[in-house]
Amino acid sequence: MSADSSARSPPPLTALSQWLGDSVSLLGGLGVLLGQIVRHVLKRDFDERELLRSLHRMGLKSLPIVTVTALFTGGIMVIQAAPIVEHYGAYGLLGWGAGFGTLREIAPLLTALMINGRVGANNTAELGTMAVTEQIDALRALAIDPVGFLLTPRFLAIVATLFLSTIFADTLALFGAAYAGWAFLGIEPGIFYRGLTTGLLGFGDVAHGLIKSIVFGIVIGLSSCHFGLSTRGGAPGVGRSVNTTVVVSAAGIFVLDYLLSFALL
Amino acid sequence: MTILNELHPRPNASTRSRVAAALGHFALDQLQQVTDLYRVFRLTLHYAARGAPNRQAYMCQMYEIGNRSLAFLAVVMGFIGMISVYQGGLQTQRVVPDLSLLGATFLQLLVRDLAASICALMLATRVGAGIAAEIGSMVVTEQVDALRMCATDPIDYLIRPRFLACLSIFGALTVIAAGVAFLTGMWTAYAFFGLNPRTFANVSLVSAGDLTIGLCKCLAYGAAIPVISGYCGLTAFGGSEGVGAATTRAVVSSSLAVIVLNFVISGAGYLVFG
Amino acid sequence: MIRLTGVSKSFDRAVLTEVELYVPERCLFGMIGPGASGKSLILRAITGLLRPDRGQVTVGDQNVLAMGDLELNEFRKGIGMLFQNNALFDFMTVAENIAFPLRRLFDLSETEIAARVAERLARVDLPGFQDRLPAGLSGGQKKRIGVARATVTRAPIVLYDEPSAGLDPVTSQKIFDLLRAEQRASGSTVIMVSSDLDRLLTVTDRVGMMLEGRMIFEGSTDELENASDPRVHQFVHGALDGPL
Repeated sequence: MSADSSARSPPPLTALSQWLGDSVSLLGGLGVLLGQIVRHVLKRDFDERELLRSLHRMGLKSLPIVTVTALFTGGIMVIQAAPIVEHYGAYGLLGWGAGFGTLREIAPLLTALMINGRVGANNTAELGTMAVTEQIDALRALAIDPVGFLLTPRFLAIVATLFLSTIFADTLALFGAAYAGWAFLGIEPGIFYRGLTTGLLGFGDVAHGLIKSIVFGIVIGLSSCHFGLSTRGGAPGVGRSVNTTVVVSAAGIFVLDYLLSFALL
Repeated sequence: MTILNELHPRPNASTRSRVAAALGHFALDQLQQVTDLYRVFRLTLHYAARGAPNRQAYMCQMYEIGNRSLAFLAVVMGFIGMISVYQGGLQTQRVVPDLSLLGATFLQLLVRDLAASICALMLATRVGAGIAAEIGSMVVTEQVDALRMCATDPIDYLIRPRFLACLSIFGALTVIAAGVAFLTGMWTAYAFFGLNPRTFANVSLVSAGDLTIGLCKCLAYGAAIPVISGYCGLTAFGGSEGVGAATTRAVVSSSLAVIVLNFVISGAGYLVFG
Repeated sequence: MIRLTGVSKSFDRAVLTEVELYVPERCLFGMIGPGASGKSLILRAITGLLRPDRGQVTVGDQNVLAMGDLELNEFRKGIGMLFQNNALFDFMTVAENIAFPLRRLFDLSETEIAARVAERLARVDLPGFQDRLPAGLSGGQKKRIGVARATVTRAPIVLYDEPSAGLDPVTSQKIFDLLRAEQRASGSTVIMVSSDLDRLLTVTDRVGMMLEGRMIFEGSTDELENASDPRVHQFVHGALDGPL
């Protein structure tokens, strides 16, 4: 409902420089936070009970949406590949065709987007609520470092959740793809699985996707912790923070996906 | 077991009946939500057809949903274009050395699926979270009750303009998204595989069926995202935690809806158009 | 006149149990009780925002629970309400906020609306605030804008939920005096929920006390001071010893 934001917006050049300044300071903030978290991890100075709790809350409870997403995504991959497969009559290659895209790109990417929505947003909402209700200040007043107590365990849990979910999603997506191929193209799942294992796909392709998932996990963990902690302004503020987190993480995921695709080949 | 206990504490029941009770509870809950969601959707359509036009709110939402998503969408789609062509090129090179149909295939994929679906996933994130956060904060600060006291249905006053704006602007966003992705894809094909842009820009594979599928997806996503997120916002309760939870729910539910709708429409499209 | 009989409601647990309430016409009724005792819920039940599981809610000769959506809309024209957190629409200016009920509920000309808004703003002592946004106002100013919006339709029934929450003593007293004067001038029936006992009791005609979802006392303001129920006595006098 920002009816007048267009009227009040500054001239484009000022806006651009402002945007650049904001982006740089955001990157700097994220970098500092990453440094602090890494230091806590190396010194093993974080709350391990909180880590287990977070793993349960974030990892286990995300399983349903990861499952649904992966099964349907596998199906969609096959449906999209179907016209090409029929055109060339290359039925034996369907497993390889769907597997290549799924393992390297689609499974890590879509799992990351869903975890971003489910876990990243939730983490920001929780930390944001703690920030606006002064619980973070209360921790500081008790000389408890919020980075070690709250952020590090959550960050680790998010990275672990995304990595494990991606392995899970890889399997389920291929499973979904095999049965979609059977339903739409009449290709026996056996032929599909053989297409996966005849040597055109290697462990490298799986690793490619898994390395990406770790980086995506770092992006989601960092931005959700950062925006959660810096929430201001009551209930509307929490809503705004969650919104910013999911947008920044999603953009970050795509940009890093591109860079990693080259770096890893 | 702890999750099940939280859902339905029955200390004396046997494990099996406890699982059954929890599952039944879960199923009823989901059914209730789907019925509620359907009610909101029906009322939105009703108001969209009957209600007095509210031009100002409609334009505001067009600006909020459309213009303000452009930069985000352009970045994401630009990178999607580069990634897809790069990975697609690598994949093709492993079996056939000829890349001349890369552009045509990519364009077909964009029209059929990628442009609309990635666009929708991004909007589910940005716009879905925005709608739920905004309406959710209005619910917990009693502004929605104040609307009701003034004989104003929040579905009419809050969801309808967002629904109409999203539905009408989604097509335009998808076209822009496809354009950006195609340009960056063309550049990638040229830079990494030495493919001539003229060869890349080949529309021969795009058929009327592909366009129909793409358009159906645009309409379905454009309708689903605001209604689902609006519903999540309206069912928020209990202070800032409630708003956060509603926003999360909106992002997850609308993303899932996009993926399921994509599967359904793609499947139907394949069966109809081949 | 407003009458509740045997109103019960439960969410996860019972929040209202067999509530009986009678507010005669032109009465300024104060509702007191500890936090989360169901005071706000009663206001919501009267407006039809909350549907009780059991019981009767009648306003005038109308049965609120039997109304459909359209009748409810018509019925709400006769009620003004100030919400606990003011519930000012933060995307509207002050003038648009106050004019909102007039625009949605009545068919008035723009000049008439502007005149009514200006008159209300002058009444709550904030003249010239038309084009300000709620975000830039102090707590007391927001409250007064909320009062202006609740009374702008000249509704025969006005409900105030915590009109003095978070305000300093002087501002609180000003608000209560304003509400009393407003009620006298318009002859409306008013229910006021407040935790600010000392100031509330200076303006009320009758008082009811809620405890854990039950109405445990109902009577005139004088009767409250000498109530025999030890719980009421303890609450009103703020004593530490007692059944609460």
